[in-house]
Amino acid sequence: MSEPKRRTQAGSCGYSPRRPTVSSFLSLRSVLALCGILAGLPLAAIPAQAQDDVVQYSIESPKAVQGLVLDIAHAGKRLVAVGERGHILYSDDSGRNWIQARVPTRQLLTAVTFVDEQYGWAVGHDALILATQDGGATWVQQFEDRERESPLLDIWFRDRQYGLAVGAYGALLETRNGGRSWDDVSDRLDNEDGQHLNGIAAVKNAGLVIVGEMGALFRSADWGQSWERLESPYEGTLFGALGTARNDTLLIYGLRGNLYRSADFGDTWRAVSLRSAAGELVFGLNGGTLQGDGTLVLVGHGGSVLSSVDDGRSFTVFNRPDRQSLSSVADDSAGRLVLVGQGGIHATGLTAEQIADRPVAGTPAAKQQ
Amino acid sequence: MSSHRQNRAGLLERLIFNNRPVVILLCLLATLFLAWQASQIRPSTSFEKMIPLEHPYIQNMIEYRDDLANLGNTVRIAVAVKQGDIFNAQYMETLRQIHDEVFYINGVDRSALKSLWSPSVRWTEVTEEGFDGGEVIPQSYDGSRASLDELRSNILKSGQVGRLVANDFRSSIVDVPLLEVFADPEDQSRLLNLDYREFSHALEEKIRDKYQAQDPNVEIHIVGFAKKVGDLIDGLVAVVMFFGVAFLITMVLLYLFTHCSRSTAAVLITTLIAVIWQLGLMNLAGFGIDPYSMLVPFLIFAIGISHGVQKINGIAQQSSGTDSPLTAARLTFRQLFLPGMIAILADAVGFITLLIIDIGVIHELAIGASIGVAVIVFTNLILLPVAISYLGISKRAVQLSKQYAASNHPFWRLLSNFANPVVAPISVVLALVVAIGAFWYQKENLQIGDLDQGAPELRPDSRYNQDNDYIIRHYSTSSDVLVVMVKTGAEGCSAHQTLSAIDELMWKMDNTPGVQSAVSLVSVSKQVIKGMNEGSLKWETLSRNQDVLNSSIARAEGLYNNACSLAPVLIFLEDHKAATLKRVTAEVEAFAAQYNRDGLEFLLASGNAGIEAATNEVIASSELTILILVYLCVAGMCLITFRSIAATICIVLPLILTSILGNALMAFLGIGMKVATLPVIALGVGIGVDYGIYIYSRLESFLRAGLPLQEAYYETLKSTGKAVLFTGLCLAVGVATWMFSAIKFQADMGLMLTFMFIVNMFGALWLLPALARFLISPQRLAGKEGGSLFAH
Repeated sequence: MSEPKRRTQAGSCGYSPRRPTVSSFLSLRSVLALCGILAGLPLAAIPAQAQDDVVQYSIESPKAVQGLVLDIAHAGKRLVAVGERGHILYSDDSGRNWIQARVPTRQLLTAVTFVDEQYGWAVGHDALILATQDGGATWVQQFEDRERESPLLDIWFRDRQYGLAVGAYGALLETRNGGRSWDDVSDRLDNEDGQHLNGIAAVKNAGLVIVGEMGALFRSADWGQSWERLESPYEGTLFGALGTARNDTLLIYGLRGNLYRSADFGDTWRAVSLRSAAGELVFGLNGGTLQGDGTLVLVGHGGSVLSSVDDGRSFTVFNRPDRQSLSSVADDSAGRLVLVGQGGIHATGLTAEQIADRPVAGTPAAKQQ
Repeated sequence: MSSHRQNRAGLLERLIFNNRPVVILLCLLATLFLAWQASQIRPSTSFEKMIPLEHPYIQNMIEYRDDLANLGNTVRIAVAVKQGDIFNAQYMETLRQIHDEVFYINGVDRSALKSLWSPSVRWTEVTEEGFDGGEVIPQSYDGSRASLDELRSNILKSGQVGRLVANDFRSSIVDVPLLEVFADPEDQSRLLNLDYREFSHALEEKIRDKYQAQDPNVEIHIVGFAKKVGDLIDGLVAVVMFFGVAFLITMVLLYLFTHCSRSTAAVLITTLIAVIWQLGLMNLAGFGIDPYSMLVPFLIFAIGISHGVQKINGIAQQSSGTDSPLTAARLTFRQLFLPGMIAILADAVGFITLLIIDIGVIHELAIGASIGVAVIVFTNLILLPVAISYLGISKRAVQLSKQYAASNHPFWRLLSNFANPVVAPISVVLALVVAIGAFWYQKENLQIGDLDQGAPELRPDSRYNQDNDYIIRHYSTSSDVLVVMVKTGAEGCSAHQTLSAIDELMWKMDNTPGVQSAVSLVSVSKQVIKGMNEGSLKWETLSRNQDVLNSSIARAEGLYNNACSLAPVLIFLEDHKAATLKRVTAEVEAFAAQYNRDGLEFLLASGNAGIEAATNEVIASSELTILILVYLCVAGMCLITFRSIAATICIVLPLILTSILGNALMAFLGIGMKVATLPVIALGVGIGVDYGIYIYSRLESFLRAGLPLQEAYYETLKSTGKAVLFTGLCLAVGVATWMFSAIKFQADMGLMLTFMFIVNMFGALWLLPALARFLISPQRLAGKEGGSLFAH
């Protein structure tokens, strides 16, 4: 067992990686150079030695659109998607063309959110939090903690100032100043086992909900200050929550096609049965979106795309023939779905209704029971 | 008269012709012994001989070969349905029988044999309790619709689509890893080496033929190194037949040339003896027959015949002056032994230059061919005249030879115009224009390496390449694999630093044009970490926790060695064109230069594409050296022989024109410069110079006699033109039959050599006199006893 060790120069000068890297970038280089001279090392050796410490920007490549992409969000009309190797891509033409943003990391980014056309945040492994103020074109690092050896998995912002990030081993981080500083407020949750927190979502006119490992379920009626653990309708892992267009109403979803709906901010739950043409859906559900017209779309493993026009009481199920796992979904200005997951970004050109109407592919989408 | 001849005879001649029975007896004994040796010769398909062992890529590959064990040597049998899909009881039954049958074929690594019927092929699923899983074909399988549906759903969950099961569900694969050395099934204490030919035949008979006949709805495709080698060896055996064809054609040509059955038989037999000696000596030297060296007997046969023809031609001419066959043979020996030796030396020089190509098969080709031409000195320059001295030449042949010398020859008269003062400049300008055009064309279009899809050794439409094509189209795989070896300290392969660097390399490769995909233990690690986190895509990345990393690669068999100090990165390429290989290896080298440090090294290369990349580099760097060397040697030989720079230029320039035209032809036909075609340059030039030597030596002697150039050239053509034409034909016939070989590179070599031999002949007949018009001054030669070795 070895803790990931920070590389230091000749044992003499260390530096703290927790400082915001952008501001320390120049000074870091000069410090390293100084260390090199002091240690009598040839200068040429420094770039290689410092490789892990110098900010590594994500590599721009045409294949980024086809790499693993985990989340997608709207920055006004713009679509912004995040994924592996620090890839952040944005599109101003409904997902036809994507531009790769300049991002100071090569880590896997797990979630992204925007509060308006300019301000947005993304989270990822190494407990990374990145922020943008120009609609996703350029990003700076606000937070990183490699020693956690664990990722942040979802992020929510109320406005340009207040936000929460959740992650593995019960991590809950809070900012009140737009991310200039982040505080660990994990102890606000009754989570002794340190269960992973997979998703955080707002419920209309009610408050916030966090879901996680082994049915972990929390709610906060005061938008983050105090939290209450709820009795979970499901023992298995929940991957996400999604507020609907109605007050107090939300969906939670997880492993093996488990989907529950509550119309009273989590007091009571009803299982939503999911059946494709081939039988009961067994694929895990990973992400979802509420469209402007109240349509709900969920996506999951096995190319599953689910849509509901009755506020989540029932869903139609479609499995894409390529069966690649999907992680998240957004709709463009015309309501057409843009799916992300394995194989990158899939701009379907179809609306939720059209997807639901498509015939199920020849291979069975689900196990027959 | 006899004593006068005796006095002028050299020591060698006296030694041979005064002891004719001894010569014959010695040759007979040698032939018996070497024939016995030759019968022992075996096909050798040693993999190492076909690759450039000194290249750093290959050195790396050999150094770490044990760590990369079993990466390569597997055979994949795709069992396809013609109608419907694989989910039917009959197909599954056939597949089971094939699996069982393969299990018992010698050389199969039974523990690692894999198909849908293997218990090791499993599906897994994430459930609330953790993992659920089972065999893809459940214990309860009974062929019913319900169990076939279960099988279908298990396959989807197993992640085997694109690997063991085709993307279109119309075929599945039996993956057959092989053991190079295995225990004899009859006697477990004895170890046997895998016999590729036997194994390949077993696959054909016990699997393909048997099950395609038994179940008309299945079609079987087999690929893999062992199958390819098996097919190659079969191709070699077929080449033996071509030797028969070449022999028959040569026999007919020879009779038409000599009009004498006795001398025809004598030439054929002595030349066959040369071939037997060559094969026997190869075996004595410890060489086997490989796809390259097996072409040497053809060359030796052709060269032997052409020298034999010179002898017969000479003896026939001498016979008109004497009644005794012995005297005629001695005179001919005296006259032709030296030029024959010179020509053979030139051949040998051409072969010897091949030694600088650092590839075992080419070395053997060079050594084998050099042995062969040395043997010709004994058989065709010594044994043949001795034999003829007993047999004599038919009266009719002598008569015809006399008539020929006396009569006028309009054809030769016409050709002698090449030396005409008006025609010569036109010829030279034309040759220059052609040379420049062809040079430009080949410079733009000639490529290094193999250009065809599939296994380059075999023809694109061969069974093997069709099977290969089928598997590439229906599975997520490629037959062109470049392996980068990532070397760390012991237990270093799973360190985060190592894995993240490998991950970077893989992404760089993914983004390199020509790369399909890359696989390494990082691919496995990410999938396992994702699996450990309930299949959540948000965890599909490397962990910074060393324990997590260690356990994540536990099942990545074959993707790291026992000491965890070496991990291969498999890069699947779209093709093996030289440009693709160069681009990808250059990217890897740039990456290595940036990332290599103490305890982490990225080393090229293994995999078939790695070997080809190394081979291409060796070829590209040897090409110019070979050309320069072979021309220097040939020019040096000419200079020594004729003591004249002008003569050397007259002989060498036509050869250069042919070389350029040869390259242009290769570019035109889409044949790349590769292991098989590079020797053609040396062979073509080395053997092609013979024509020039024969023609110039006669031309010079007639010029010395005081004839003007065109007249001297006419006399030259009259005396040796027929022999030169015949030599060209003989050589071309000998190699032309290779064009029908099932082995692609033999066919390419055959085509190129045929072209080189014929064009070299025309080059010598056409350009040599034209150049002589500018470079040789008949007045200065006339009447002089020159310094040439041929001056009498």
